[in-house]
Amino acid sequence: MQTLFRRLRVELDWTLLLILMSIIGIGLINLYSASRGLREGMFFQQVYWVILGFSVFLVVATIDYRLYNQYGYIIYVLGILTLILVVLIGRTVKGSTRWLGYGPFQIQPSEIMKVVAIIALAKYLHNEPTPEGRNLKQMVIPFGIVALPIALILLQPDLGTGMLILLIFFSLMLITKLKIRSLITLLSTGFVIVPLVWSFMLRDYQKRRILVFLDPSSDPSGAGWHSRQSIYAIGSGRLFGKGYMQGTQHQFKFLPEHWTDFPYSVWAEEWGFLGALILLGLYLFLIIWSIRLGAKARDRFGALICFGVGAMFFWHVIINVGMVTGLVPVVGVTLPLFSYGGSSILTFMMGAGLLMSVGSRRYWGS
Amino acid sequence: MIGSGSQDIGFGKRSHYLVAVVSVFFFLLGARLFHLQVIEGAEYQRKAENNFIHRVVLSPVRGLIKDRNGRVLVHNRPSYNVYIIPRFFTESAFDNLKRHLGLDDEQINYIDNKIIKAQGEKRFFSLLAVRDIGRDELAKLETNMHQMPGVRVVSETRRVYPHGPLAAHVLGYLNEVSGSEIERLKGYRPGDKIGRYGVERRWEFYLRGIPGMESFVVNASGQRKDENVQNKLLGPLSKRREDARPGYHLVLTIDADVQKSAERALRWHDSGAAVVLEAKTGRVLAMASKPSFDPNVLSGRLSQEQARALYDNPYNPMLDKVLQGSYFPGSTYKVIPAIAALEERLVDTSEELFCKKYHEYGKRSAFRCTKMHGPMDLYRAIVQSCNIYFYHMAERVGMDRMARYARDFGLGTPSGLGLNSEQGGFIPTKAWYNKNMPGGFRIGHTLNSGVGQGNVTVTPLQLAVLFSTIANGGKLYLPQIVERIESTDGEVVQEFPPQIRRRVQVSQKTLRLIREALSGVVNHPLGTAHEARVNDIEVAGKTGTAQVRKIGKARRGGKEWRRFMDHAWFAAYAPVGDPEIVVVVLVEHGGSAAKVAAPEAIKIIRHYFKQIKPRRQQKGDSI
Repeated sequence: MQTLFRRLRVELDWTLLLILMSIIGIGLINLYSASRGLREGMFFQQVYWVILGFSVFLVVATIDYRLYNQYGYIIYVLGILTLILVVLIGRTVKGSTRWLGYGPFQIQPSEIMKVVAIIALAKYLHNEPTPEGRNLKQMVIPFGIVALPIALILLQPDLGTGMLILLIFFSLMLITKLKIRSLITLLSTGFVIVPLVWSFMLRDYQKRRILVFLDPSSDPSGAGWHSRQSIYAIGSGRLFGKGYMQGTQHQFKFLPEHWTDFPYSVWAEEWGFLGALILLGLYLFLIIWSIRLGAKARDRFGALICFGVGAMFFWHVIINVGMVTGLVPVVGVTLPLFSYGGSSILTFMMGAGLLMSVGSRRYWGS
Repeated sequence: MIGSGSQDIGFGKRSHYLVAVVSVFFFLLGARLFHLQVIEGAEYQRKAENNFIHRVVLSPVRGLIKDRNGRVLVHNRPSYNVYIIPRFFTESAFDNLKRHLGLDDEQINYIDNKIIKAQGEKRFFSLLAVRDIGRDELAKLETNMHQMPGVRVVSETRRVYPHGPLAAHVLGYLNEVSGSEIERLKGYRPGDKIGRYGVERRWEFYLRGIPGMESFVVNASGQRKDENVQNKLLGPLSKRREDARPGYHLVLTIDADVQKSAERALRWHDSGAAVVLEAKTGRVLAMASKPSFDPNVLSGRLSQEQARALYDNPYNPMLDKVLQGSYFPGSTYKVIPAIAALEERLVDTSEELFCKKYHEYGKRSAFRCTKMHGPMDLYRAIVQSCNIYFYHMAERVGMDRMARYARDFGLGTPSGLGLNSEQGGFIPTKAWYNKNMPGGFRIGHTLNSGVGQGNVTVTPLQLAVLFSTIANGGKLYLPQIVERIESTDGEVVQEFPPQIRRRVQVSQKTLRLIREALSGVVNHPLGTAHEARVNDIEVAGKTGTAQVRKIGKARRGGKEWRRFMDHAWFAAYAPVGDPEIVVVVLVEHGGSAAKVAAPEAIKIIRHYFKQIKPRRQQKGDSI
């Protein structure tokens, strides 16, 4: 018994747990206000997802992360197969085929693919270190690892998730050293690819959103509506906020999709600049913490897992908060552990579980 | 060794850079939040409030217009208008609206156009779609409201002119305010009505009242929240509602009964004007212009058919002939050379001039008389309307002196009633002829002016003012149409007592001589209006037959003939001893003044003294 408590006290990363609980707790408080007057039971459904997420977190954290290294490619293949399954038999909502599941248990495998891709990439980079910097040739295989799921995800289509996996990929590339020449080549190909993506891959509604982002006044009631109403909500919160459950923007339904993509606006409207800053601080702390865990990991795989999960949290927060504050075009990117939705919760809890698994095993001697 | 793994794989140093990069990104987000919430917070708070605060303008009830006896000439009745908000107005809502109201193509096009024009922010504004729906339609809409998002029925008032075309040119009409007017004038919004003509236009400011405002909390689909939410966010009703102040009532100097009899006088004629003034106050008792229009029709939306009927009418119903029609006064103008000659001592009442039917002027004899009158003195010349006598008078007085007397009596400039862009007529002078006529001024111009032809023009109202000045002993009144302004509780806000513009520079003796002659016109057996004389009331007046154009022999009896017939005038006052009212009747293309205009004028006078006035006095006594 004593050893168990000792191990719990020393090896369990209480700090990480506390940050996760804080964000999830605030998220639930916020969802309670945001879901008022909407579909009944939305709040409790999220509570169930959170409980499920914790179970997943515990399971993932308990397993020694070296096992993920060992079975990394098998996990990857399973993930790819699931994505193919989505393309074949997935459920279609609002023109996108993203869901897989039975009855009320519906998840988006593309979300979970983010974590799978991190594991696969970490395994590859663990095995193929390039201490003097990676050249383009050495990037082909890791790029292939993410390109396959991204292609399948774009078929759904789910631009936001595809883009996120790409961002996580580049983050990991930068962390594991990249030759300056490779970087320049990559950036210049980017300039060629963006117009191609614009003309052939983006749907009309996506193009419209980007255009409206560049000139928000062009159509106030159409695509720019979301972004503008979100800015009104946040701005009108001012320093101290309108008070819990007092936000007019979401209560009177001026803020659309405020429980999935725009919960931060609800929070910032009701809790003001101070509340918004506190939440932002928690995320910053979580990301720095994962970088720290990575830096202290026992091996390369563990470190890359931590950096990858940290990058996932980082890009989600930057894009989502950037989007709701009008800095980034509106794309469906959730706010980690804060947005309503099971897949999102499960994905981030898995990621957090990996952090915990790496973190709590850093003391083990060889 | 605990914690030494990081050194082995070389991420330690790099992680510090990572933390720095991540922190910079978060700092930028924080700065953005600071900008939105702290620096611009107040502005966004206002914008968020504008989202949910829906301000509804409460239209004021327009003031009534009454005649001098308190009879209501214009009032308001409740009506139901359908508004749409394009942003929420769906195709199916439009289909349902069409079905429930049975809209015709013209109405559907009207709504379509309005929706197309509403772009951007304007898609959130209410647009007037259908005006004044019936009770049955209202019931249908109300029970099916859920099928029609973006549709609202608003109870508003509608202007009613219960007497139809009666006094239409005096009362005027309303219609929708235009875009440029909204920019120019304060406090008007699209869909508001504004006075377009007559008193409705001239007194718009008093009649309209002041709009109120009520604020509501609405959600994104425009539905109003309940009273608790209203109170919480906007405060109690007294704070979020400011009642409209109704417009003032207008009491006119018009007497509806006199107005009716003035309009009846024109009943058999296509086109003409009649005006009745109080001789001792300048107040207008009646003003009629024919053809007329129905303000009820003009205040709504005109159908194409109705518009065509109005604008294609050759006699121009939209022209107020009393105020805007400029006509040759013809012989009614002879009082001017007569007064001028007497005042300037250029003629003696006993002096006789011989009328041999034409006037010798050069070699031509273009200046003729209606017949050979023989020897004429001033009295006989007015009574029998001898042109030759007045050619001589005009010659003696001269163009410019004659014009000076005419102007003294208010001719040549608008009389100041202030309605319907009143015209001033025209009194020519030598200088004017020299400037505007090829060959300049000639004596023939003077002769023509002496009998009210040539370039002399007057409006019927000016002629009435001229005759009332003669009748009342030289007081030139400002003609008035509004007696007072009242608040809704009947309190007098402003009163308009009679106003003398000036006393004309003419001796009482001269005026008395003219009045005697004018009495003779009706009462002397040889008077030009003798045949129109009635026994029970003594009337004085002057006939006038104004040539519109010379009727060539070929045209006589032709299709267009009527359009070239002379205008018939009769300007009269009564009773002769102590004149109370002045009546001027003009029948366009009426032909003979004595046969057409004089009897109608005298009918108005007789009706006034025999029916209207005794009735009023009875009423007055009983109070």
